[in-house]
Amino acid sequence: MLSVAGVDVFIQSSQILRGVSLEVGAREVVCLVGRNGSGKTTTLRTVMGYLSPRAGAVEFRGRPIHGRRTHEIARLGLGWAPEDCGIFSDLTVAENIEIATWTRPRGRAAAERVAQAYEVFPALRRYAARRGPEMSGGERKMLSIARALALDPEMLLLDEPFEGLSPAIIPAVSAGIAAITGLGRAILIAESNIHHVPDYTTRLYVIERGEIIFGGRPDDAWRDPGVSRIIGGRSR
Amino acid sequence: MKGGLAVALGAGAIAAAPLVASTYHVLLMLPFMAYAVVLLGLNLLFGYAGLVSFGHALFIGLGAYTGAFLTTHAKIRSLEVILLAAAALGALVAVPVAALCVRYVKIYFGMLTLAFGMVFYTFVLKFYRLTGGDEGLPFLRPSLLGQSLDAMPKTDYLVGPYYYYSLAVLGLAALGMWRIVHSPFGLCLKTIRDNPAKAETLGIGVTRHRFYAFVISAVYAAVGGALLGPPTGNVDPTLAYWTHSGNIVFMTLLGGFTSFFGPVVGAFVFIYLQNWVMSVVPYWRLIFGAMLAVIVILAPDGLMGFVTRRRPALAGRT
Repeated sequence: MLSVAGVDVFIQSSQILRGVSLEVGAREVVCLVGRNGSGKTTTLRTVMGYLSPRAGAVEFRGRPIHGRRTHEIARLGLGWAPEDCGIFSDLTVAENIEIATWTRPRGRAAAERVAQAYEVFPALRRYAARRGPEMSGGERKMLSIARALALDPEMLLLDEPFEGLSPAIIPAVSAGIAAITGLGRAILIAESNIHHVPDYTTRLYVIERGEIIFGGRPDDAWRDPGVSRIIGGRSR
Repeated sequence: MKGGLAVALGAGAIAAAPLVASTYHVLLMLPFMAYAVVLLGLNLLFGYAGLVSFGHALFIGLGAYTGAFLTTHAKIRSLEVILLAAAALGALVAVPVAALCVRYVKIYFGMLTLAFGMVFYTFVLKFYRLTGGDEGLPFLRPSLLGQSLDAMPKTDYLVGPYYYYSLAVLGLAALGMWRIVHSPFGLCLKTIRDNPAKAETLGIGVTRHRFYAFVISAVYAAVGGALLGPPTGNVDPTLAYWTHSGNIVFMTLLGGFTSFFGPVVGAFVFIYLQNWVMSVVPYWRLIFGAMLAVIVILAPDGLMGFVTRRRPALAGRT
């Protein structure tokens, strides 16, 4: 579904990503784990077209997407839930979700897509008339993911979905993401805390200083001494 | 619900004004209605898309000169034709201007629109044969709905048929704009104003939406500009001068760009206040400058801000 191959990314004159390669197959849940500043967000932003790679290629559903505009990439079927949620504060919760059904009209009815977003995060239904600033961090996170889902994407990119959330709300967000995997969408999650990596993760990549140092099954990551030192696996 | 009642009352008051108010004040309503049309469009760009144009006098001037040219040179008097021609010409000129301007934001956008406005101003001033230069062009009395009203005394024409014609145009313009800002397109503009980078991740083409908003606002400005002509019977280059662009931005700020009808209220207050202050002291610009400073510092949501700010508290109580 998504293939990132040998991508080098520079921000001004600093090289942030060095030959990053990763694959996400259909219906897969892939986690990209790394410490803060290791290049996780940069990788996702490169996929979304905010940054263009100096070398390498990004392909989505067999088509090269590097160098394309962000909104075109979104319309191809990549839903993006950024780390800071990116909720539009002048719009209500309902409008935030509905807008994605207008920008990417599909075969499926808009009402069905909106209903699905609410099914995944039932808590949002209660806040439908609220605006962005009237929501908690966890609710904003759920809305951000629900909105990306309403785009009816083939794949979702979730940037640190558990970052900064109270432990009380993490299960609700986690359950929502689990429900999305049940809908047959591929998911790529960037995560800095290895303990937040969901059990249903099919593949794990570890990124350190802009390089992928591990790629494989989550169980194998624990056995890799270099990986466990970096991501703090020993505490488990 | 309460908002709908206020709009109905406002429209009723405007409709009743010729019956109760003095002719003088009724005549002042004509530029108000013309500016209201301009500002409904300008606010799509300013309030909804977050782009401040300092060059919309270009389109006001374009609309006004279209009417003047058609009535004097082309012998076309029908106001319907004039308004349609103004709208079409406004859109035609807006397409290349918008295509260049919407690539930029903030001050760069503002300066570029200002530059195009001044290019048009110079064109109007220098192409004497076409535009009459600094003397301007007469805007002959247009016929309304196919009725030539040349026999009527001028004041009767203006406070009667022309007044209600302007009101009808304003009503249609407001209805159209209401539909636009409450459509998915309007919501997309709001998301772009909020955060263009995030709007893109929802598949919204930011530049394209800004382009459409610009062209629609230009069409509104041209139609409003054409309505400005008949009351004075003459159009001159000051209509296209950059201070005129500044005035309409002022009206928008005065009424409040965060509300749909804010700019309309701003136009009303601006015109009557300007008229009153000018009659009291010769330094009306000084006073208006001070007012602008006060608005920006103390009431960034304009006059409508006082109405809407209290609303959440009221809603919470009920």
